Amino acid sequence: MQVYKAFFKVIQKNRGQILIYLVVFMVLALLLSSTYNPPQDTDFTKVKVNIAFINNDGDSQLVDGLKIYLGENANLVDVPDDTQKLQDALFFRQVEYILRVPAGFTEAMLSGQDVQLEKTTVPDSTSNIYMDLLINKYLNTVKTYTTYLPGLNQTDLNQYLKTDLAKQSEVTMISNGTHSAYAEKSGYYFNFLSYSTFAILILGVCSVMLVFNDTDLKRRNLCSPIRSTNMNFQMILGNVSFAVLTWLVLISASFVMYGSFMFTATGLLLLLNSFVFTLAALSISYLIGNLVKSRGAMSAVANVFALGTSFISGVFVPQALLGANVLTIASFTPTYWYVKANNEITAAVNFNADNLQSIFTSMILVLAFGVAVLGVTLVLIKQRRVEA
Amino acid sequence: MVINVKNLVKRYGDLIALDHFNLEVQEGEILGLLGPNGSGKTTAINCILSLLKYDKGTIEIYDQPMSPDAYDIKRNIGVVMQNVAVFNELTVYENIDYFCGLYVSDKQTRKKLVAEAIDFVGLNDFKKFYPKKLSGGLLRRLNIACGIAHRPKLIILDEPTVAVDPQSRNNILEGILELNRQGATIIYTSHYMEEVEQICSRIAIMDKGKIIAMGTNEDLKKMIKSGEHISLELLNPENLDLTEIQALSHIISAELTDHQLVVKSSRGKNNLIAILDHLKDQNIAIGKIYSEPPTLNDVFLEITGKELRD
Repeated sequence: MQVYKAFFKVIQKNRGQILIYLVVFMVLALLLSSTYNPPQDTDFTKVKVNIAFINNDGDSQLVDGLKIYLGENANLVDVPDDTQKLQDALFFRQVEYILRVPAGFTEAMLSGQDVQLEKTTVPDSTSNIYMDLLINKYLNTVKTYTTYLPGLNQTDLNQYLKTDLAKQSEVTMISNGTHSAYAEKSGYYFNFLSYSTFAILILGVCSVMLVFNDTDLKRRNLCSPIRSTNMNFQMILGNVSFAVLTWLVLISASFVMYGSFMFTATGLLLLLNSFVFTLAALSISYLIGNLVKSRGAMSAVANVFALGTSFISGVFVPQALLGANVLTIASFTPTYWYVKANNEITAAVNFNADNLQSIFTSMILVLAFGVAVLGVTLVLIKQRRVEA
Repeated sequence: MVINVKNLVKRYGDLIALDHFNLEVQEGEILGLLGPNGSGKTTAINCILSLLKYDKGTIEIYDQPMSPDAYDIKRNIGVVMQNVAVFNELTVYENIDYFCGLYVSDKQTRKKLVAEAIDFVGLNDFKKFYPKKLSGGLLRRLNIACGIAHRPKLIILDEPTVAVDPQSRNNILEGILELNRQGATIIYTSHYMEEVEQICSRIAIMDKGKIIAMGTNEDLKKMIKSGEHISLELLNPENLDLTEIQALSHIISAELTDHQLVVKSSRGKNNLIAILDHLKDQNIAIGKIYSEPPTLNDVFLEITGKELRD
């Protein structure tokens, strides 16, 4: 096993660069995972929007009803009906929404005509959508009554509106399981692990391949009585051992941080996914190792490839925030499918045939990447041997 | 017979690197392959080692056809490449152990062989050094140790002394002679004729992919007309008539540069005395006199019409 031993001696000699990536990963993963707080949708509190209500229609029960209804769901702020003052109020965010009821509103509504209310809002304000919904709801309810109960007086109409709009639906959250607080944190950790795995494997494998592919050493080895199958076996064994060792070191911190969670279905699936990804990353590293010709190129490729695929595949920025075109390009890298599987694993509160099928499909795709790239590498090696 | 190469032809496109190359190497000899750069020495060695495919011919080593899969033959061969082929990431000891381990699997035997190889090349004080910390000479010694640690019966050394200082070169040459004394058959390629003359029992001179002359040092020199080179420092050369010197018997050529007269003579007795007598008759005083036997360069020059180190 001379070649196998030499493989690790070369790795050991290049350990400095590899350790930098390892330490940076450990520190960043620990920091990011401990400071990362996933959004909590159970902590919703109702916020009332400040609005100004300008009535040009005169006193009517319908307008009063609208004002009371909006007052229950927003803060009515008194602003004089002066263009300059209204603009200032919007600019200084005293109000975010100004509603103006035009003259003839009540009459038009009761006669079933289409009426438009005037609104002025702060640009790009999300709260105006909420106000639109409330106003539309009120007006549509009025329209329903005036259409189907023509001749209804304002007092009765107001009473019906009050009763109808006061009704609220009760929402009950039904869950089939409990979602561990560690799930999302560990997902973040395992997503980030792909970057370090790629960088470390490219550096490690390339540094060895550069040595063994050196023309003089290669010729010297060819003079020896060691069979090429034996030599290749030892090289592959060395590469796989290095990859497994790297994986073990990288996942070790997850056991420290998340403890018994790593033995749950979610934790074990994350581990399996990361192992599958490690094999694919090894295969790609092996191809790169057979292509690069210098140490400078090796470092450049390790950085560009590991960082590049991580950026476009959702390691640093969630996939949900990336553009469709970016994700389409990313889908040609195993990192994308690895991150996708991680996201699905951590998002699931329980596992069933549907979500497991999607998760395992992603894993199979990652594995397929690895097999395909390995095939290309072996063809390349054979081609070079024939040309030599 | 250790090596038997017949009609070997190797082409690189239109260039013929080996042109019906024939070579026989007998057990226990040191065969020198001498030739200028590009004469085909390394190509021949690479073909013999099955590192290069060839177009035509046969190669047998220990009466077995040589091929990339001839592992039993390779087990008996030690190779020292022209370029130093060692791992920069391994120490001197680890490098020798690695290459020895490709031939010898038993750990205890290997330990003994590696220790002997280190001792042989005199790298005991540098066992834990990495190659990058070694001087050129020490690096060459490491290269040799890696090639001979497994005690091969046949050792092929391809220009092992390139870019080596004179002291290290002498150490290397002494080492090669010692390996031969211990029973190894050696093929030694070089373009340094002095080295080949010093250690080789038989010499093959190559040019343009062919062996143009072969034999012992003495045999080769007998093949040519040149007998000796005589250099004389003349104190009053103005009295000299060069044509009279050239007319003397056995004289091939005579040239006068400043006070230096250089005469090339063919094989014959009393050439120097005849010249001295003639100069005395002409009242030409002599300062210093040198007489040198012909070199392999003269052999090469006479056969090919060009210098060995062109």
